[in-house]
Amino acid sequence: MKKQTKDHLVFWLFLAPALISFVVVVIIPFFMGLYYSMTDWTAVADSTPVWVGLENYKSMFSDFAFKYSFIRTFLFSVLSVISINLVALTFAFLVTREIRFKNFYRAGFFIPNLIGGLVLGYIWQFIFKSVVPSIGALLGIDFIENLLLLADPNLTLFGLIFAFTWQYAGYIMMIYVAALLNVPQELLEASEIDGANFWQKLISITIPMIAQAFTITSFLTLVSSFKQYDIIVALTNGGPTDLYQGQVVNSSELLAMHIYNVAFKYNNMAEGQARAIIFFLVLSVVSIAQVYYNKKKEVEM
Amino acid sequence: MAGVKICKLNKIYPNGFHAVKDVNLDIANKEFMILVGPSGCGKTTTLRMIAGLEDITTGEMYIGDELVNEVSPKDRNIAMVFQNYALYPHMSVYDNMAFGLKLKKTPKDEIDERIKKAAKILDIEALLKRKPKQLSGGQRQRVALGRAIVRKPEVFLMDEPLSNLDAKLRVQMRAELIKLHNELQTTFIYVTHDQTEAMTMGTRICVMNDGVVQQVADPRTIYNAPANVFVASFIGAPQMNFFKGKIADTPVVEVASHVFKLSDHMAEVVKNKGKFNAEVIVGIRPEDIKLGNSSEGLPAKVEVTELLGSDLNVYFKIGEKSYIMKTESSSDVKIGDTIYPVFDMNKLHLFDSETEKSLLY
Ligand SMILES: Nc1ncnc2c1ncn2[C@@H]1O[C@H](COP(=O)(O)OP(=O)(O)OP(=O)(O)O)[C@@H](O)[C@H]1O
Ligand SMILES: [Mg+2]
Repeated sequence: MKKQTKDHLVFWLFLAPALISFVVVVIIPFFMGLYYSMTDWTAVADSTPVWVGLENYKSMFSDFAFKYSFIRTFLFSVLSVISINLVALTFAFLVTREIRFKNFYRAGFFIPNLIGGLVLGYIWQFIFKSVVPSIGALLGIDFIENLLLLADPNLTLFGLIFAFTWQYAGYIMMIYVAALLNVPQELLEASEIDGANFWQKLISITIPMIAQAFTITSFLTLVSSFKQYDIIVALTNGGPTDLYQGQVVNSSELLAMHIYNVAFKYNNMAEGQARAIIFFLVLSVVSIAQVYYNKKKEVEM
Repeated sequence: MAGVKICKLNKIYPNGFHAVKDVNLDIANKEFMILVGPSGCGKTTTLRMIAGLEDITTGEMYIGDELVNEVSPKDRNIAMVFQNYALYPHMSVYDNMAFGLKLKKTPKDEIDERIKKAAKILDIEALLKRKPKQLSGGQRQRVALGRAIVRKPEVFLMDEPLSNLDAKLRVQMRAELIKLHNELQTTFIYVTHDQTEAMTMGTRICVMNDGVVQQVADPRTIYNAPANVFVASFIGAPQMNFFKGKIADTPVVEVASHVFKLSDHMAEVVKNKGKFNAEVIVGIRPEDIKLGNSSEGLPAKVEVTELLGSDLNVYFKIGEKSYIMKTESSSDVKIGDTIYPVFDMNKLHLFDSETEKSLLY
């Protein structure tokens, strides 16, 4: 009995630092945020927030800009997840083969991840605005010369996805590399003897064997594309504007940026907070569903 | 059904290691061929080259009449049982066995039929729905065999499939494999470093050392007429006794200060080879030394005895040289006793002291 109490004490003692900081920086702000999202708070000093109930949530769902941003974010996330994972997996396959300089390639593909999103965004802005057209001019191909990804509201999302993939695929590749190196060579050999060709080996053996990596990578890519902010600020800052169903919209203003703008640019703190809460809920549901689904597909060893 | 023919096969690994040297091997259809040798002698390398998993550096390999040097594993119509079984962990036992057949687009009911039949032979019918990790080592091993059987390959390759099993199961599986070979009537190529497995299972044995084939023959010949010192020492437990000697034209073989009279047959062979007065290595198996009385044998001192149930191994010394003999467990030889061992001169092995090749066979 005595020993048990002591064990309990030690347990809580060790847990306390982590628990307290978690409560202080995550849990309390979250509930404060929840409270503020139901007031008309503007962060102006001396003004006491007035309780408005679900007013902010109502206005959010009738706000066209929010709905538009939401759809664009979904589109961006889905396409990014696909593109990043495809690129990362392909590179991972290439750098796990018996090739020369494979460590050099691995490092090379990984480096963009070390460059901050803002810097990277400005680099790609330069590339999209100046380098691509001048290459087009040099080659004499009009299509490329006139290709201004970032200026066309219909294409700007692809510009973002391109830059984001360039930044993030190397990181995801590393996870795939680790997973691929863990696939027992014997299994691939056994399947080869069983008569499998390259694609059959890939689909029947390799992919199921790295299912665990898929859980991690799709979670990481999904969450980070949902929350993407800095690359967009540097690349397009939300623009260019477009007419959508008769309304003026910012074609690359994704949710994170939208919330920032509402809260800080237009100074509607409470409204921004309400949107952030919804953002949080949607992201949680989507990522939990994704992890649950992928977990089910993982191989039990 | 097909045999396997290997001509002047060499394997040099990228790091320059010469693992298999000029191997020639002609494996007949339906044969149970054993590759045996100490660890690192190139057995697995040879087997993997037959499977097509390892490139052939030089030499030729035929399966049936087809030159397969450039044929990929999936087109060789072989099946392989790996040392660690290499079962697909994400598939049920049934799917593991069905995998190869599905790839070949075998009709569903035929797949089903073949799996049921193989499962019956191997007694794994109750396990078909399980995943490999839910199986014991012996069951996994049988599933790995099943996966090979259902494909009806022309050649079965097995790389030490029994080495992960406990002694009892190993004996049992040994018998199962022999039975299986009789039933399937297919060529088996079986790698092991266990000489008991080699002796009991093979229709022929290929003994390898350092990447070089030492002798290829049926088990009886390997045991009774080893081609060189290595084969003689590798096969047989306890090991054959070796000692240096010199042949005189009496004809006797002189060992230290003792002389042994050669049998007429041996004298004849040695004479024909012109080896009178040559230095030789003399070998004799432990069971070819008998206990005699003081008038028959040389006095020897017993150093250690080992009781193995039915047999008794006696380690004794004549002069400074140690020998082992095998006798019935009923004999009451004790440590420190003086015994008079008698060497069966008809069972003597003589090897050239330079080439270590047998003078007799
Ligand atoms: N990929 C490789 N690169 C270089 N040397 C290798 C390679 N694989 C094996 N070897 C060497 O080739 C030799 C033969 O190896 P192999 O695996 O065929 O031995 P084995 O006869 O199967 O031995 P064991 O009974 O221990 O399995 C060994 O000396 C080994 O070190
Ligand atoms: Mg081996």
